[in-house]
Parts: sequence; C-alpha cells; structure tokens
Amino acid sequence: MKKYVQTMQYMEEIITNSNNYTIVITGLGGQGLIRFLQIIGNSLIQKGYKVISSEKHGLSQRGGKVTCFLRFGEKITAPVPIIGSADMIIAAEKACIFDVLEFTKRDRSSKLIIADYEKESQNNDYPSEEYFIKVLNENSDHINFVPVMPIVAQYKNLKIINTIILGYILRFLPLSEEEIKKSINRYFKKDLIVLNQKALEEGIKLK
Amino acid sequence: MEDIKIVKGQVGEELFLLGNAAIVRGALESGINVYTYYPGTPSSEVGEIFTKIFKNVGINWVESSINEKVALEVAGAAYARGAKAMVGMKNVGLNVASDPFFALATTRPKNENSAIVVLVADDPQQYSSAVEMDSRYYLKLLKIPALEPSNPQECLEYTKCAFEISRELKIPVIIRLVTMVAHARSNVKLGKLVPPKLDKTFDLSPEVNVASRLYFLDLKQDQIYNRMNRALVKSENSSLNWIENENATNIFSLGIITSGVSYNYVIEALDFLDLKAPILKLGFINPLPEKKIVAFLKQFKQVFVVEENDAYIETEVLAIAHKNRVQTKILGKDPFSYSKEGSLLNFVGELNPTKVAFALIKITDLTPKINLKQNKEKKYETVRRRPVLCAGCPYATIGYALKKAIKKLKSDSGKEIYFYQDIGCYTLLSFAPYSFANVKYCMGSSIALAQGVARTDDSLNIAIIGDGTFFHSGIPALLNGIYNKTPILVMILDNGWIGMTGQQPHPGSDTHHYQDGNFKKKINLEKFLLGTGANISVIKRQERIKGNYPDRLRDLIYEKSYDVLEKRDLHIIVIEDECIQKFNQRNTLEVRYIDERLCNNCGLCYNQFNCPALNEKNDKAYINLNDCLGCGICEEICPNNAIYGGDNNEF
Repeated sequence: MKKYVQTMQYMEEIITNSNNYTIVITGLGGQGLIRFLQIIGNSLIQKGYKVISSEKHGLSQRGGKVTCFLRFGEKITAPVPIIGSADMIIAAEKACIFDVLEFTKRDRSSKLIIADYEKESQNNDYPSEEYFIKVLNENSDHINFVPVMPIVAQYKNLKIINTIILGYILRFLPLSEEEIKKSINRYFKKDLIVLNQKALEEGIKLK
Repeated sequence: MEDIKIVKGQVGEELFLLGNAAIVRGALESGINVYTYYPGTPSSEVGEIFTKIFKNVGINWVESSINEKVALEVAGAAYARGAKAMVGMKNVGLNVASDPFFALATTRPKNENSAIVVLVADDPQQYSSAVEMDSRYYLKLLKIPALEPSNPQECLEYTKCAFEISRELKIPVIIRLVTMVAHARSNVKLGKLVPPKLDKTFDLSPEVNVASRLYFLDLKQDQIYNRMNRALVKSENSSLNWIENENATNIFSLGIITSGVSYNYVIEALDFLDLKAPILKLGFINPLPEKKIVAFLKQFKQVFVVEENDAYIETEVLAIAHKNRVQTKILGKDPFSYSKEGSLLNFVGELNPTKVAFALIKITDLTPKINLKQNKEKKYETVRRRPVLCAGCPYATIGYALKKAIKKLKSDSGKEIYFYQDIGCYTLLSFAPYSFANVKYCMGSSIALAQGVARTDDSLNIAIIGDGTFFHSGIPALLNGIYNKTPILVMILDNGWIGMTGQQPHPGSDTHHYQDGNFKKKINLEKFLLGTGANISVIKRQERIKGNYPDRLRDLIYEKSYDVLEKRDLHIIVIEDECIQKFNQRNTLEVRYIDERLCNNCGLCYNQFNCPALNEKNDKAYINLNDCLGCGICEEICPNNAIYGGDNNEF
C-alpha cells in the first residue's frame, strides 16, 4: 500500500510537469497490443484520467511491426507524441525497441521495458546481445528487462506476454491490481480470464 | 464486449472508445435507420460493429454491400424514402461511389426524417491503401457540407451534428476521418440514444428525386444558392469552428488555422516550444466560414495553416484573404509553387507533432529546450520484417505453383509473361520472392490491365484477382474480355471472404455457419461464370485427393496458359481454397512436424514455398509450432516424406 501511494505521488509529479504521461508500445502483429491498450486505457478512465491511444500498423496482421501510443493525464492530448518525450517505452518483442528509440528523452529518463521474447527474423539480421546493450545504454538510464519466457513456458502460451508485462509495469502506474483485473475480466473472453489473471500476478511478482 | 457497451452505455457514462466506435454511438444517438458500407481500412470497424448490434437495436437495415457505389445507392434511396441513413467507406471507395453521389448531392427529399451522412476515412501515409489520397477536394466538386472531428469524442458529437444538418437542409453531409482519428481510442462521454423512426407515409416526388434535365438544373440552383448558403450561415455561427487561446499573444504576430487530427499536433508542438498562439480550429470544413476566417486573419501579421496531405484549407484561405484584401502573410505548403523549398509542410505522408514543431521553428527561429534533431537522427540497425502471407495461406501455395508453371512456360513457349495485380492479400505476391506484378492500379483493375497489353503484344498476360475484389468491380472487365475474346489468363483466387480487412463476407461467401448467414444467399461463382460462356477451369483445395495439390495446380496453370497462347482466347481459372484464418475458426488442423531422420535439408520447403512458419535450423528444416496453422502443403511438397501431422504440444 505504501508503495502504491509512492507511485501515485510520482505520477502526479510527472503529470503536473508535462500535462501527461506518455507510453510507447511496440511489438509484432498478433501479439495483442491493442487489447493491452484497451485494458490500461479502460482502467485509467475508471480512475478519472483522460486517456488517448493510437496505433500505427501497416500490414501488421501479417507479422509486421506495430507501434502504439498511450497517453494520459488531466486532458486529452495528441494521439501521437513528439519525439524525445516518452516517459515509458515497452517492447513486447525485444528487437522492436530499435524502431522507437527516437522517442526516448534526451535526459535519459525514459523507462525502457523490454521483454526477453525474440522472434527470429527471416533475413538473419537479429542484433547481437552486445549491440543491443550498447544501444540501450546510449539511450536510457532506466532499462528494465522483463523475463517473460520462463513464465510463457510454464503456462504454455505465447499470447500472455503482454499481460505479464502489464503486471510488471503496474509498479510504475497509478493503478492497483484489482483495477487492472476488472478490465481483464471485461476485455478477455471467458476461457482466457483466469490464465491472464495468473499471468498478471506473475508479472507483478517479478523483481 | 465493447459492442454491447456502445448500445448499453448510459447517458453521461465515459467509455474508452475507438473513434470508429464513437461514430456508431453518434449514429445511434441520431436515430439511424440504415447503415451500408464496403470495408476498407481505416473505416471497417464501423460496419463490423453495426453488423453485430443491428438486430438488437431496432435499426431497419445494415449491410456490407458489394461495393461502395451500391452501398451509397442503397442508403441514398432509403434517404429519399424518409430514413436516416449512413454510408461508410475509405477514401478510395469514395471514387467508386462518386458517380451516384453527384445525383444524391443534388436531390432534396421531401420527408421530414430524411438525413444522410457519408463517412469517408482517409489513410495518409497509405498504411493500407494502393494510393495516398486526400478526399477533401470532393467537397468542392459535390458542393455538400462536411465535418472533420479530431478525436473520438468529437467523432460522436460531429456525427450527431451531421445528421441534424442533413435532416434540416436535405443535403448529404460528409464526416471525414483519417487513420489517427478513426483508430484512436479515448474517453467518450455518451449521450442519449434516440430510437429509429420511419414514417408510414412518405413522399417520393420525382421532381426532387429524379436526376434528369427536366428537374435537375433547378435543384442544383437550390443546392448551391439555398442549401449550401444556409450551410454557410451554419458554418459561420457553428461552435464547431472555434478559436483556442483567443487572448494569447506572441512576438511573431502569429496565428494558426488547422482542422481535424492536425489540431492535436499543433497543440503538442506549441506546448513543446512554449509558444502561445491563438488557433482557429475548423470542424466545419465545407463550406468554410469566410467571415470568421477574415476576422481571424486580420489579427495577425502571419498565419500558419497546418493540415495533412493536400493544401485544401490553405488554398481556400489564400483565396478568401485575396478577396477580402487581407494583407496577412499566409504560411503553409505554398500550394501554387509545386516546390519543396517554399513548403513548410509536405503534401506527402502523414503529419505528426514533430513535423509541426520543425515548421514552427523555421517560422519563428526559436531554439527549442530539447534538441529534436539528435533524436530524429537516431537510426539503428534493426530487424527488417516485411509483411508476409499468414502461415497456411492458400495464396502461398498459389504463388509456389505459379512460379513453377511460369518457369516451364517461359522456356517451352519462349514468350514473355506479364502479371496484373489487384487489391487483396494476394497483392503480397507482387513482392519477393514471387514478383508477380507488372502493372497494378486499384480495386478490380487487373483484368482490364491484362487486356491492354494483350491487345498490343503477343506475350502471355495473367490477371490475378481475389473473389471479393472480383465481385466488387472485376465483373465488368471480365465480361469485356470474354466478349472481345481477348487472349488473357484470369486467375480468380477464391478464398471465400474479403480476407485483407478482416474476413468480411461478400456475395460469394458461404455464411451459413455464421450468425446472420441464413439471411443471405451465396452466389455460386462457378455457375455464375459458366453462364458467361467463357472457358473456365475450377480447382478446389478442399476436395483434393491426398497429396499433390500444388503440382496439380501448377499443371493446370501451365496447360491453360498454353491454351490462351494457342487458341487466342480468354481463359478463367478459379482456385477455391478458403482463407486459413476463417477456416481455422471452425476447424482445428494438425500442425506439422519435421522428421529429422528423413529431412536431408534440401531447402525446397523453406526456400521455395515461403511459409512464415518454415525456416532452417541446425542444418534441418524447422517448423515454428507457434506459427504453423496446419494447412499441410509442406507435407505434400516434401520430396523425402519428412513432414508429418500431429497435435500441437508446443505452447
């Protein structure tokens, strides 16, 4: 509870300073990023925030890359942020982070949240671990790797990656577990609710 | 889930809604009777939501029409009869619907309830279109009012305004969206639902509904000098055209005029630069409020017009300023110069706050607190992921068979072979590793394009078109070719659905598995084509004898192509193989495994078949079980019988 109060204070600070909190989310078509936006967005609205989200995707349903934006605060803002202004950047597939680094803040304060899911590329151009670390360190002092794959293996389902991340980032958001769970109940089909609630709990538990 | 909320949501309740969903709610709060549409990104969700809810909310009729022209005509006549109607389409769909639209724009129904709203969604940056097209110049051609919302809440409100303006003035009203509004989600406060009503008595007077010289010149006079004139008065007084930061001042004597999604970007960019400037935000984009614009211009030395794609508003503002002898300098895209140098914003591509900020820096010479250039230059070596067909897509098999047939045909006949592509998932066959595209335009054009070359050359010309696109606008071109005995090969790729936009039905779809399927009559494509007397071959995947479907397909293409070359006549091949996404909603297929003892890594499967689930790993072929949907084609083509089916034990 104490931690939750701290989070709320931190969030209020950010929102007062810049009018809103901006999250950039990137991943691959079919990973369920839109559901992810719906769940966070709906929870925030219940809490009285003004939220706007948008998606950029070409032929994403055919395995292309997707970039989404979610912004909230006291008033509705643009569906797309200016570059160099993201408070948090989430990559649901590891290498997708490279496409959105232009949104990192110059003062290196953007939080990078990166899942350890790697989808092989057909061009054999997947970046090396060294390059990966080097580039991330150039951009931020707040790099958070989220080990989703062990949990994915345990539940035998690749589609829960987003929900695990959601659990993980809850520590940075002004939302409680119960509030997110309500939205999960609302946006998932009946047979997937329990699985996703468990995935959420696993994400919350992560260090 | 959200669909129920759109109907059940209470007055004053705030929902997290998609712009397109807010449009639906706005229409329900206006008492809509009829919605017709043709799917197309970014407008499709409106039709999908209406299709799901229409039986529960008492709307008279909702249909996914065969094309935009038909959709507009169905809704147009419902409007003439006294209904509140709405038609939805994407920007290029408006081109298809434009012919009847001119008649519709001029007609003036006599029924009190009559209103019609046309939803047009543009796709700047052509994320999912064949061309980038700004639909706004149609407003000048059609001479009808138009509203442009900038966020989901405005989507709801402007839809209601549009119905009201149309009902009052008896003129169609366009709601113009772009991707970043149609596909944005935001807080939307709901209003009161209005139950649809439709009077038993109605008036279909020919003098206001029949497009002919007898009546229409008078009606056109009325359209321009009465109805549009009244629309102008509305626009001048409308709260949809408003000034933000009215009292703000800056040392540059700069004001901004903008509309739609660009308004958000202006706010963002001004915020970033700590610059305060009054903004005239235009929600009523035709007719534009001349007096309001003049009064605004006069307050400043310079006014920056911010809009996406064409300089539609800027051109109008330039003309208005000239007419009213306003000396204010008008900045923007410098539309008469066709020069990049004079242009602060580009005609091409999607706008964003960063582009607006750079333009403002250019105008004001301000130094921003953060150097954006360094962020802009961030380019990293990234994983390239080109769009691919789904694993198990029937078109991958067609691409594979066609490639083999073509190779043999080229060497046996010595003829050049050219391909004409259409709009659908199979468009991906235009690119590597297939490259089956020499000329491609728009929906339904492939069959006619093939004829143009076949009439001037003795090459083999192959048109590739999907079933949805064929019904949409391919039929006239086919009949043209059959009648003229034009020697082309037409391949109709029948996957049963409008696959690309989310598997919506078309008249050839077998919908009996689905909710409203019993209300539809499937058109039998084969019988339909036989009726034309054309040469036709049909091959069906689902009835295949075990094995060798790709080879039979290859042989059929080879044989019929030779027929075209020798008999100098048109031939049609229909390939029936259902969209795997739709098929898998009803069936569970076995995924495929590699038997590593039998696989000698010949590479045929992962190099030539090009399924995204197939790859090479540790010197063997490898199937990613998270991607495999179980079509089984790889098993059929494997020369070593090293691929077999089974239950999916992988996560």
